[in-house]
Parts: sequence; structure tokens; C-alpha cells
Amino acid sequence: MKKGNKYGIHRVIEPLGVLPQPANKIDNNMDEIYDNEILIDVQTLNIDSASFTQIEEQAGGDKEKIAQIMLDIVAKQGKHRNPVTGSGGMLLGTVEKIGDALKGKTDLMVGDKIATLVSLSLTPLRIDKIKDIRPDIDQVDINGKAILFESGIYAKIPKDMPETLALSALDVAGAPAQTAKLVKPGDTVLIIGAGGKSGMLCCYEAKKRAGVTGTVIGLCHSEKSTKRLQELNLCDYVFAADATQPVPILEKLEEITKGQLCDVTINNVNITDTEMISILATKDNGIVYFFSMATSFTKAALGAEGVGKDVNMIVGNGYTKGHAEITLQILRESEVLRKVFTELYA
Amino acid sequence: MKKGCRYGTHRVLSPAGTLPQPAQRLDNTMEVYDNEVLIDVSTLNVDSASYTQIKQACGKDAEKMKQMILSIVEERGKLQNPVTGSGGMLIGTVKMIGENFPKNKLKVGDKIATLVSLSLTPLKIKKIKKLVPESDQVDVEAEAILFESGLFATLPHDIPEKLALAALDVAGAPAQVDRLVTEGDIVCIIGGGGKSGILCCYQAMQNSGPSGKVIVVEFSKENAKRIADLNLATDIIVADATNVMDVYNKVMEVTGGRGCDVTVNNVNVPSTEMTSILITKGQGHVYFFSMATSFTKAALGAEGVGKDINLIVGNGYAKGHANLTLNIIRESKEIRELFEKLYV
Repeated sequence: MKKGNKYGIHRVIEPLGVLPQPANKIDNNMDEIYDNEILIDVQTLNIDSASFTQIEEQAGGDKEKIAQIMLDIVAKQGKHRNPVTGSGGMLLGTVEKIGDALKGKTDLMVGDKIATLVSLSLTPLRIDKIKDIRPDIDQVDINGKAILFESGIYAKIPKDMPETLALSALDVAGAPAQTAKLVKPGDTVLIIGAGGKSGMLCCYEAKKRAGVTGTVIGLCHSEKSTKRLQELNLCDYVFAADATQPVPILEKLEEITKGQLCDVTINNVNITDTEMISILATKDNGIVYFFSMATSFTKAALGAEGVGKDVNMIVGNGYTKGHAEITLQILRESEVLRKVFTELYA
Repeated sequence: MKKGCRYGTHRVLSPAGTLPQPAQRLDNTMEVYDNEVLIDVSTLNVDSASYTQIKQACGKDAEKMKQMILSIVEERGKLQNPVTGSGGMLIGTVKMIGENFPKNKLKVGDKIATLVSLSLTPLKIKKIKKLVPESDQVDVEAEAILFESGLFATLPHDIPEKLALAALDVAGAPAQVDRLVTEGDIVCIIGGGGKSGILCCYQAMQNSGPSGKVIVVEFSKENAKRIADLNLATDIIVADATNVMDVYNKVMEVTGGRGCDVTVNNVNVPSTEMTSILITKGQGHVYFFSMATSFTKAALGAEGVGKDINLIVGNGYAKGHANLTLNIIRESKEIRELFEKLYV
């Protein structure tokens, strides 16, 4: 077997010298694998929601056309990176072959069912046939093969829950796992965008880690998600407000925390201009974790300096060790969350 | 005296509900609220991006530049460049202190530099006394307001004002290095040859000690030589930080394949996120000070290569940052001489 690079640079065709994600074209020849690669027999692609929405619109909702657009993307790039949104997604499949250099080093065995947790935007992929498209949950069943690089992350699909349920939670696995690492007993935690998919998981994990002496505050936007979160009974306080308007929220938080503010603030909302409330809500030496992809680096950096806040602001990293286990465990522990996730996302 | 909000929202005229920085227009009436400080301003240190834009728009004509600065302040009540969005800092003397401003921090007559941006500072200019297009320090006759949450540094007597101002401008960076770097750490400073880079190198060398390593990645040969002459690094790599694999291979060579505990990114060019991520070891820290950092490139980049590292957004403020930075100028004769030559 040929020797591969840890990050998959050996698959980059052009431009040379870049990593697989920014590359325009990568080698998706699956007849021969490199010594540090894993070959996957793909069953389902879980297309990133921004990407799927764009493809669906371009195709005018026509399934035949959606299939054609997807095939064209992969034919051209060797991977499923949407040329408009730049995003990918994840996949579900079975391990077919393991490179020599990984044997004995990986915990995977041929025949294991796994979800890849690295983006499709950097995963070598070949589609032989598109079998079924399920537009309401962005999933596409195919016949095809994919390659996982040595640095690529994955999760084994558990046997005690439906595949689609596991997949929907793994999609946002980074956020609750980082929450688990950051929150200490007794902490006051604010979750902004608490009513969404990753928000609900974060609320559960925050309460678990903060314990009875801690306080978890969930900030939602819509009336519907506020009501849902209140009924789930995961937080000590839940309220609805527009996160782009910091002043009224700050007043409310000062009241709830008796002027102490929050030790940890986790931002999960995918809208712009919520950096300031995240900073103001946090006490000095506290932590702001930005999971929202709508975060502006400069607004966060200059914002904290502007109000003289000595807070630690962290860029949400979708990967942390053990993130898949932590997230799947939430669905095992919490019956109410499992029910909501099954209803909404599976 | 009227009661003010800690963050100065009482000065926002439009749009209502925002903080002073994103506001279009601030109230610059120089009557102090109970938690404000009134400053008699002597010099404005205009942010370099803003000053360059003004200079270009006015064809380097000093009179036109004066006019443009006056009209920005007239329109917005603060010196926030409408194109770049940035401000700068100021030097002045404390003229009046509101009765509820935190006690014992300042007294009337103190000479201070504000460390919050001019983009949120209420300002009224009576007259521009001196403006030289080549220097971003503008002497004025003006008044400004410091809010309760506003940062400032009392200017020291043993360092010339303009030198202090140049160093305080980047005070956040070395202070954060001081917090992150501990003895024996391998530290990489990308863009180590610039103003904040030099201060970061000095602090990193102090903290990592004889068992640690400070690696500087610099694009310019001249800057690299300067770092070597000043003995501010243990290893110097001359490379283009956007060339990921080149830098990665060179850093791996220097560290024996281990990578870095702490990486500090100071370069103001885009697409250096991936380099910073790859050279950092698992559980290590990447501190992004560069304003050219893309949030999504950093977030998705780390996930894409499966790196469990801490990615930190540079905060220009850390408690005690002004003192720490001025102390570097006091301790290191070489850095003091260099800054006097380059930035004053």
C-alpha cells in the first residue's frame, strides 16, 4: 500500500500544497487505498442544511434534478462540497477496508457501522447511484464509497437507538461536549439560543455539570421554542428575548444572578450581532463560548475591549475528545429529550 | 448630576437600544453624568487603518484631513471612521470626575491615555492644532468623556508620553501571553517581528524559561534578523504563514514532531488559521490576535483535521495589561530603543 499523509494531502489534485478542505479537486479513486485510510461503504449522506436548501432551490424541488446536481458536484470535485455555500455534511456507512498502517491502532473493525464526523467538504467520495432523497431531513441514500483520513473523526453507531436519531444528535456533538468540559459545579451558565437542537443538549449537559448549586439560564427567541424548553424542565430560568438587543437582557440577567452575572456563556444562535450580549452577560474571568457560525471575530474582539471586560472568548471547536459519547449519552439519560429529538429531527 | 449607565448607553442618540460602539450618533455634550470622567484632550492617536483611509480620501492634504476629522466628529459625536469602523486612543488630562465614578482611581490633573476605542468615546473638538499627514498622532484642543466601564492608563513619569502611547496601543497581546505561557512551554509566535509580536516574544521568553522554546515565524527577513539580534526567540523560521505545509514541516522539525503548547497569531493577513491550528499540539492553545482572523475558518478548520485544541479570540483587554506592557519597556533597553526608533 502507498503511504499517505495524516491530513489527506496525498489526495489533493489541485491546487497543490493545500489541505483537502480548501482543495478544488481531490482524488476519489477507491480501487486502491493508502496505508492510513479507511474505506467506507456509504449508505446515507446527511447533507449540511445550508447546502441542501441551496441545492433544493436550484433544482426547484425536483428530485431528479437534485440528484443530478449532487452527482455533478462529486464528479467535478471528488467530494461533496457545495460550490455556493462551501459546506458539506456527514455520512453513514460501514467499514469495508482498513489501511495497513492503522491496523491495531484504530478501534474500528471491518463491518462496523459508523458516522463520519468530519465534513463531506473534505471527504473523498464516489457516488454510484442515488437511491432515495428525503428532503425534510436533508438525507440522501446512495450506493457509493468514501475515504476517512487518519486525522478524520468518526463515531460508531450505537445499537440501542435508531440510526437517524443518533445521526441528528451527532451532527451537533461538539457543543454539549464542550459544555461538559467548561461547566463546573456551582457555576451560573447562560445558554443563548437554548431552544434549538444544540441549545437543548447544552442546557441538559450544563445543568448536569453545574449541579444543584448551579444555575442554568436558557435564552430563546420564538414563543414556541421558549414554551418547549420550559416544558422540558432542563433550566432554572427560561425567557424569550431578542439577543441582538443587549440592554434589556442584561437587566434581566442582573436581576436573576443578583448582579453577579454568568461564569460561562454559550452562544448557539445562528444570527448576527449577538456577540455583545454574550460578552456583557459574562463576569470578569468568565468564559464565552461561541458556537454560532454567524459570530464575527472582530465584533467579539473589539467588543470586549470596548466595554473593558476581561473575559475568555473561545471559538467553538466542533471536535473535542469523547464528544460523540457525551452527546449520545444525553439521549440515553433523558427520556424527554429523546422524545423531542425523535419528533423533530429523526 | 444625572445618573449614567455603566456602559454609556445614556449617551446613545441613535439607534436606541445599542451600545456606544455600534451607535450611529452619540451625545457629546460635555456635561458629565455621575459616573463619567471629563478629559481635556491633548493628542488623538488615530487608528492606523482609519488614518490611512482619511489620508487617501484627502490626497494627503493636511487641511482637508483636518476638515474630514472635524466633520466625522460633528456628525457622530465620536471619531469613528465611517468606512473602517475603527477609532484609536487619546491622551489628555483629567478635568472633572463624576461623584459615582469608582473612587481612588483618578484625581483631577492626572495625565491619562484612554485604552478604549475612540469609536465609542464622546468627543468634542474645538480646534485641531497640529496635523502632519505622515504621523497618526494629531494634537488637538478638545474634550472627551470616559465611561465607568472605560479603560485608561495613568501615564508614567519615566517614559515619554508618545512612547508610552505606542506601547499601550498593543497592551493586550503580551498580557495574554503572560497568562497562557508557563515554564517549559513550546511557544510559536506567528508574525513575531511586528510591534505586538516583539512584546509577545519578550514575555514568552520570560515565562517559558530556559527549558522552554520560543519559535518565531516571520515573513520578512529584516524583521527576522531584528528578532535574532535582540535575542527574543530560540528559533526563527522565515516563511509565508499562509503556506500551511511549509510552516508545519519547519515547526515539526524544530520541535521534534511535538508541535507547540501555545501558538500566538499576530499577522494581519488572511488565511493563516490552518497553519496556527496544525502546528499546535492536542489540548494546546491558539491565541488569535490578528484582526484578519476568520471565525468560520478557525472553527471548521480544527474540526476538519480533528484537533482538540483551544481556539481563543484575542481580547485587547486583560487586567493589569497596561502596567505589564510599560514594564517591558522599562526592563528591556533594546526594545525601548527599537520602539523609540520605529514608532515615536
